[in-house]
Amino acid sequence: MALHDSAIIAYGETKIVQISDRDVWELGADILEELLDKTGFEKGEIDGLILSSSMTGAGNPFWSQATADALALEVDFCQTVDIGGCSPLGAVARASAAIDAGFATNILCLYADTAVAETNARMRAFGQEWTTPVGYLGPPAAFGLLTQYYEHHYGLDYRALGKLAVAQRDHAVLNDLACEKLRKPITVDDYVNSRMINDPVRLLDSVMPCDGASGLIVTSRKNAEKRGFTKCAIPIGYGERTNLGAARSIVDPTDTGHRIAGAKCFAQAGMKPADIASFHPYDDFIIAIMMQLEMLGFCEHGHGSAFVNETDFHFTGNLPLNTGGGQISAGQTGLAGGGTNVIEAVRQLFGEGGARQVSNTANALVTGIGGIPYGRNWNTSSAMILTPNG
Amino acid sequence: MMTEMNDLSGVERTLPVERSFTKPFWDATREKRLLMQYDRVAGAYQFYPRATSIFTGKASNLEWREVSGKGSIYTFTIARRGRPPFREHEPYWLAMVRLDEDVAIMANVVNCSTGQMATGLRVRPVWAPLSDGRNLLMFEPNV
Repeated sequence: MALHDSAIIAYGETKIVQISDRDVWELGADILEELLDKTGFEKGEIDGLILSSSMTGAGNPFWSQATADALALEVDFCQTVDIGGCSPLGAVARASAAIDAGFATNILCLYADTAVAETNARMRAFGQEWTTPVGYLGPPAAFGLLTQYYEHHYGLDYRALGKLAVAQRDHAVLNDLACEKLRKPITVDDYVNSRMINDPVRLLDSVMPCDGASGLIVTSRKNAEKRGFTKCAIPIGYGERTNLGAARSIVDPTDTGHRIAGAKCFAQAGMKPADIASFHPYDDFIIAIMMQLEMLGFCEHGHGSAFVNETDFHFTGNLPLNTGGGQISAGQTGLAGGGTNVIEAVRQLFGEGGARQVSNTANALVTGIGGIPYGRNWNTSSAMILTPNG
Repeated sequence: MMTEMNDLSGVERTLPVERSFTKPFWDATREKRLLMQYDRVAGAYQFYPRATSIFTGKASNLEWREVSGKGSIYTFTIARRGRPPFREHEPYWLAMVRLDEDVAIMANVVNCSTGQMATGLRVRPVWAPLSDGRNLLMFEPNV
């Protein structure tokens, strides 16, 4: 038994909206019904529940139990993954581990957050002591500091960042589930000229907070075969690193945990970056995409601008990027946002990309970014390679 | 384009919480003294203050040492949007300052023009009074 002995057999996703007028559990119920319809499973066959973090659920330390109860799920494995934006991808990895260990067979991974409509988080962290008193805005300020560091030490072509923003936006236009406000094409000039939030981070670098939900059913590969599922996404490599450089007082913030997580993921999958058919990186800020290209080994550290300029990231290009628009152009559904990247990768492997279907469905690379530490980059970096069945 | 940054003297700052293991740091700020945690075994400083040593995982290896607060700009950003009580006081500097003791501190920089701000700029501490008698560390160019 191993990671690749599990399989994603169905995905579900709601429309992403600026603010939800429907309760987070109603969105969760939508996903449950979509997944039951797609798999033909009875509700009672779902014997595991793994939730992503949720700003709406953050006030309840019993969140996974409360949600299982709200959806009337009777399960043998029940947990919330609390590694921020890495939670949705981390949930798939944990589902595989739980299936591998025999804890459960059919696991619902549910990512639901109505952070805009109802946030219940009260952050107990360094912030109230060390960053709130200095007027730190949170992630935009962190990425302002980080981007300035990158520019000073490595040089940064902002038009290259604009190219990434434009490719993702073009994909969101083709994605009916993306937030409507964002489904308008932009140009590189629009990106460069968008107003500064935390210099040199611009408005069009940033995600727009939204509400929505998504989810997956993960089962054993054996069960998937037995039940006759022809469309599967098999995780064949995974890496996760939290708090890279925790024991150092001074770090280079452009060196991230994806260097470690990516190497582990590629080694487990027996693949290299040049083998990747489509790329679905967690995107909270545009520069994070470039930094991941570097850390995952698509290009050298500090050479991201040149690599971006010579690569075609459209769904028809040589490295299709976040083909649903990513979070920056589809909207960030709070701490469920990483689900947007994961679900799009699975959708492409299933050949259900519609107007934005990629031609090469041999595999997909998905990543996570979670949490913002004090003056560095991010807490958790993760990467997973998925391949279709057979 | 030169933009003058707000010196933040008009901001009624939210009082920083104080934890059991950070009290020595905050007490020293009442006298405008800067204390850093130092791991005797690792021979290195750390910031922000933790409940344990980031190097060895043993709180018993830590002691507080007074430092000058001199250092240089490690990286910086212009905050053009702040939450209350910083709203209406934008734009202002936010920087990571690398102290000469090799720790990085997030702080506001004041008395610094946009033409003057640069990675590597030498800075020294300047203290902003808090309403409870503590002081908040900021930096200004050391020229």
